[in-house]
Amino acid sequence: MLSSLRSLLGIGAMALATVAASSSIALAEKAKIGISIPAATHGWTGGLNYHTKRTVDALRKAYPDLEFVITTADSATKQVNDIEDLVAVQKINALVVLPFESDPLTEPVKEAKKQGVFVTTVDRGLSEEGIEDLYVGGNNPEYGRIAAEYFKTKLKGKGKVVVMRGIPTAIDNIRIDAFKKALDGTGVQVLDMQYANWNPDKGFEVMQDYLQRFPQIDGVWAGDDDAALGAIEAINQAGRDKGMIVLGGSGMNKVIKRIMDGDKLIDADIFYPPTLIIPAIGATAMKFATGAPVSGRWVLGSPLITKENAEQYYFPESPY
Amino acid sequence: MSDTIAVPSKLPATSGRYRISDHLTSFGPLIALAALLLIGGLINESFLSSANISNVLTRSALIGIIAIGTTFVITAGGLDLSVGAMSALVAGLMIMFMNAVAPTLGAGSLTVLAGILFALLLGTMAGLVNGLLITRWRIEAFIVTLGTMGIFRSLLTYLSNGGAISLESGLRSTARPIYYGTLFGIAYPIIALAILAIIGEFVLWRTRFGRHCAAIGSNAAVARYSAINVSRVRIATYILQGLCVAVATLIYVPRLGAATPSTGVLWELEAIAAVIIGGTVLSGGYGRIWGTIVGVLILGLIQNILNLTSWFSPHLNGSIQGAIIILAVLMQKGRAAR
Amino acid sequence: MCSTTIPHRIGRPTSALVQCAAQVGRQGMTLLRTNSIRKSFGPVEVLKEIDFTVSPGEVTALVGENGAGKSTLMKIIAGYEKPSSGHLLVDGSDVFFETNVDAEASGIVLVHQEFCLIPHLTVAENIFLGYEPTRSRALDYAAMEQRAAILLEELGSTIHPRTLLSKLAVSDWQMIEIAKALSRRPRLLIMDEPTAVLGHHETDHLFERVDRFRQDGGAVIFTSHKLDEVKRLADQTAILRDGRIVTVAPTSSLTEDEMASLMVGRPLSDLYPTKHPKPDQTAVLSVRELEVPGYVERASFDLKKGEILGFSGLVGSGRTELFEGLFGLRPAHCKTFAYQGRGRHLPTPREAYQMGMAYLTEDRKGQGLLLEKSLGENLTLLKGALVGGTVIDLKAERAELDRAITTYEIKAPKPSARVGTLSGGNQQKLLIAKTLLAEPDVIVFDEPTRGIDIGTKQQIYRLIQSLAAAGKACVVISSEMQEIIGLSHRVMIMRQGRIVGEVAGDAMNEDEIVRYAVGLKEAPIHV
Repeated sequence: MLSSLRSLLGIGAMALATVAASSSIALAEKAKIGISIPAATHGWTGGLNYHTKRTVDALRKAYPDLEFVITTADSATKQVNDIEDLVAVQKINALVVLPFESDPLTEPVKEAKKQGVFVTTVDRGLSEEGIEDLYVGGNNPEYGRIAAEYFKTKLKGKGKVVVMRGIPTAIDNIRIDAFKKALDGTGVQVLDMQYANWNPDKGFEVMQDYLQRFPQIDGVWAGDDDAALGAIEAINQAGRDKGMIVLGGSGMNKVIKRIMDGDKLIDADIFYPPTLIIPAIGATAMKFATGAPVSGRWVLGSPLITKENAEQYYFPESPY
Repeated sequence: MSDTIAVPSKLPATSGRYRISDHLTSFGPLIALAALLLIGGLINESFLSSANISNVLTRSALIGIIAIGTTFVITAGGLDLSVGAMSALVAGLMIMFMNAVAPTLGAGSLTVLAGILFALLLGTMAGLVNGLLITRWRIEAFIVTLGTMGIFRSLLTYLSNGGAISLESGLRSTARPIYYGTLFGIAYPIIALAILAIIGEFVLWRTRFGRHCAAIGSNAAVARYSAINVSRVRIATYILQGLCVAVATLIYVPRLGAATPSTGVLWELEAIAAVIIGGTVLSGGYGRIWGTIVGVLILGLIQNILNLTSWFSPHLNGSIQGAIIILAVLMQKGRAAR
Repeated sequence: MCSTTIPHRIGRPTSALVQCAAQVGRQGMTLLRTNSIRKSFGPVEVLKEIDFTVSPGEVTALVGENGAGKSTLMKIIAGYEKPSSGHLLVDGSDVFFETNVDAEASGIVLVHQEFCLIPHLTVAENIFLGYEPTRSRALDYAAMEQRAAILLEELGSTIHPRTLLSKLAVSDWQMIEIAKALSRRPRLLIMDEPTAVLGHHETDHLFERVDRFRQDGGAVIFTSHKLDEVKRLADQTAILRDGRIVTVAPTSSLTEDEMASLMVGRPLSDLYPTKHPKPDQTAVLSVRELEVPGYVERASFDLKKGEILGFSGLVGSGRTELFEGLFGLRPAHCKTFAYQGRGRHLPTPREAYQMGMAYLTEDRKGQGLLLEKSLGENLTLLKGALVGGTVIDLKAERAELDRAITTYEIKAPKPSARVGTLSGGNQQKLLIAKTLLAEPDVIVFDEPTRGIDIGTKQQIYRLIQSLAAAGKACVVISSEMQEIIGLSHRVMIMRQGRIVGEVAGDAMNEDEIVRYAVGLKEAPIHV
């Protein structure tokens, strides 16, 4: 799981080193790689954009014969347009795409495949099987399950928790369903699930109102770290931090730091970082640069991050 | 002057006071507010607790302060869609400024004060930009502020790299009381809102400037022919709006201690909605601050009530909010119909 | 029985039966009769027991002071208001109009005093608004424009049907309103002050059209404050006073003086007050070679202290634009401008106000008053705060309003009423009060008595006279020849943007002025 990420990065690093050492390895092909990702509208996507740019810059230096085009979209419709332009106007050889939503993006990506473009999908799949050549993604059901397991353990099998949902999308549904399923039959009761849209301001407001409503709350699953930070402020203001457990998700560096420092309120995180774009772009570039075989399906794990292993997941330079 | 025509027998009684009765037809928003308070109280006992009301009022204060400026802009016949993005940018720049200045001035009140002044300056400049583009170059307010909205927000995203711009922890603790502190048990943001609302209402109804705003919004040609400098007054309203945004922002920043690309999103719509619900006419010419405050409270209470119940699927929150807004405006139909 | 020359209703199918009835109606039966019509607005009774009849081929003039009830009566007949009691009879049978659409279906059409036109549509589109001709579901623009052209031509107008309304002058709008009404093929045409904004030529054309309409069997009810027009056009005259019909008589049996007296309820003294003798020779304002691009060129004149200077000319000659330019309301430039003997640049509106110059606009609804606001607010809009510079002293403002209401006898339901609810004449009086509140030294009155009844006109003439006698300098722009001659010490005539003549003393008569105005004579001023 984690090792696969590490090994991917390892392959990438080795390949880079090899090439750097001996520049006379003939490139398999000159190529143009198009990257289509969501725009930096909130923390996670901010990190996504940051790491994308960082990776592309490094790859550009390493492989001057490879061209990269990055497009960002703030809606599914825009992303469809972006992809169509990449294929028709930019004439890309490969597409690395993190679909805003699976359904609307399936047709344009399929079209690209038909035109002979090598397709890598990241994080979310398409609504049809078998279109992409390479899939690098996180594990959403595991995300929800890990969160549920965490509360089960921490609360010793019974207690009351409140949940904050994210932006109404497919992955949010998958996570929440997995969460609910994992808590079935246990003594952990979910009091309510309102939408905080993975947003710190909403997280603050929703938490304030939860605290008003429920005199007893043992834990909060905020959906992700952004909302968790907002929730923490509300909890502190109401003075109900004693005995409260907060869990977010996605591995924001601020939260990881808190875990490393032994914070009482939030002592764990779920690994689901935007850095998963790195192996996706890297592997795709490898295919054209060195001819390495890169098709397949790599599902990165979403393990629980605790004080013990927090160090490994800490990227202080990242905006996320 | 004339002696040949009889003086009309009935002369109106003299009274110089501000007549509340002139606005009797437009108490609709207050009724809506009262209804919401009633519903909320019935739904959940903790609704009417001082803690909950304080929370809602404090949260509403942000939009409320912005909406005071919006009332002036709309009364004078203009529109400003950029306030949410402006708030985000001001927040981001203010935090960066304070972080930069802290090493020299220390992490104490001096830096925070400097940050506050900086924010007010930024708000004024942003408002000036909007005002000049609209009056000097005669571009539609909708278009200009749509443009500046995009510019402000993308500037903030650029500066923050998509992430958060956060206050140093020392500054955070110093600035914290601005949002969380209380005076005689009332949170500072609420006090700020109250003071600004009273001043705003006074300016709008009892000063020449306020009259001029209403005149321009009612008929700009008449204002011009009455020797009013229409451009100057319009620019002033946009600057006023910018200042209100700055005040709201400097209150907001200590809440989470950070500015992110999602800060201030949709605030402009909420502010405008509050102003309209409150009875100010969207096409200009008539505005009232107390109505705006009621409108802000209505919006805040709706959110609060929906969070306090699980009756409706959270997916329907938007529909319920929209329905209540329409209802609130329908209740004022008597005044609006011309 | 039914003639084949019956006109086809535009856009709507006609039934032969309806047309037959129309034909029958034309043959001598009373077209319209009002039976004890009363109307109250709340506690105020505006019309009391109105009884009169209108026959086909007859032109009736409704004459009365402002607030006498003329507009209300016409609105009831045209279906825009419902009577509080009493009823209307059309062709001898009771009718009930729910809205004006019902009235129009009976052939009664009203031409409003306030325009019901849409500025960003064309002339043709406006004329056929609501009755657009279509061809297989799509708007038939060709037919619209053709028919509009015919209607306009019949009115003697040269407006092109495709012109955007916003580009036309106020007098054109009036002609279009009339064309719009005529397009509905009415049997009874009601016109509320149709000539208020029209110049001589247009008025002549309109009267010709009315004549032809009358000969075709149509009936007309109209109101006008210009009694000479009433004498010229109307077959019978109904005089209203305080909501009652005082007299209905054939127009030939009444003189203008008698009409005026009946309107007011007592004998009238001379309309125009005696002129203050020879004004000062000191020029309080002089301008040389004033140019308002597109409207006025090389205008030069002096305005003397204590004089009333008249500006005459056809509609569109540039008089309004000249003074708007002088007051900074329009882009303008000039060679020299001197005020109170000191040379300076042309002022901005604010500077003009501060210097003591005031301009009373001819467009009281669009540029003069805020119709949605109260009287008090409008009154002090120009002068501004009455205490300090920022805070408004409501008490002082209220006192000023009371004073203005008394002095100018402004009739309003209550002081907090919206100005839009006042009658035209009262609005004008309020506008005058507003302009004079600041106690200016130079006042330009642009069409000051437009749409005002005889009694009030007198008031205003006296006012202007007293201002001049007190040493102020007044300019009066007017399209009413008699008014200009009666008031002014001397008259400048403009034509097509230039000052083409100046008359005083014996030369100040209608003949001379018209000669200059139409271009038969020209003597450009050399100053």
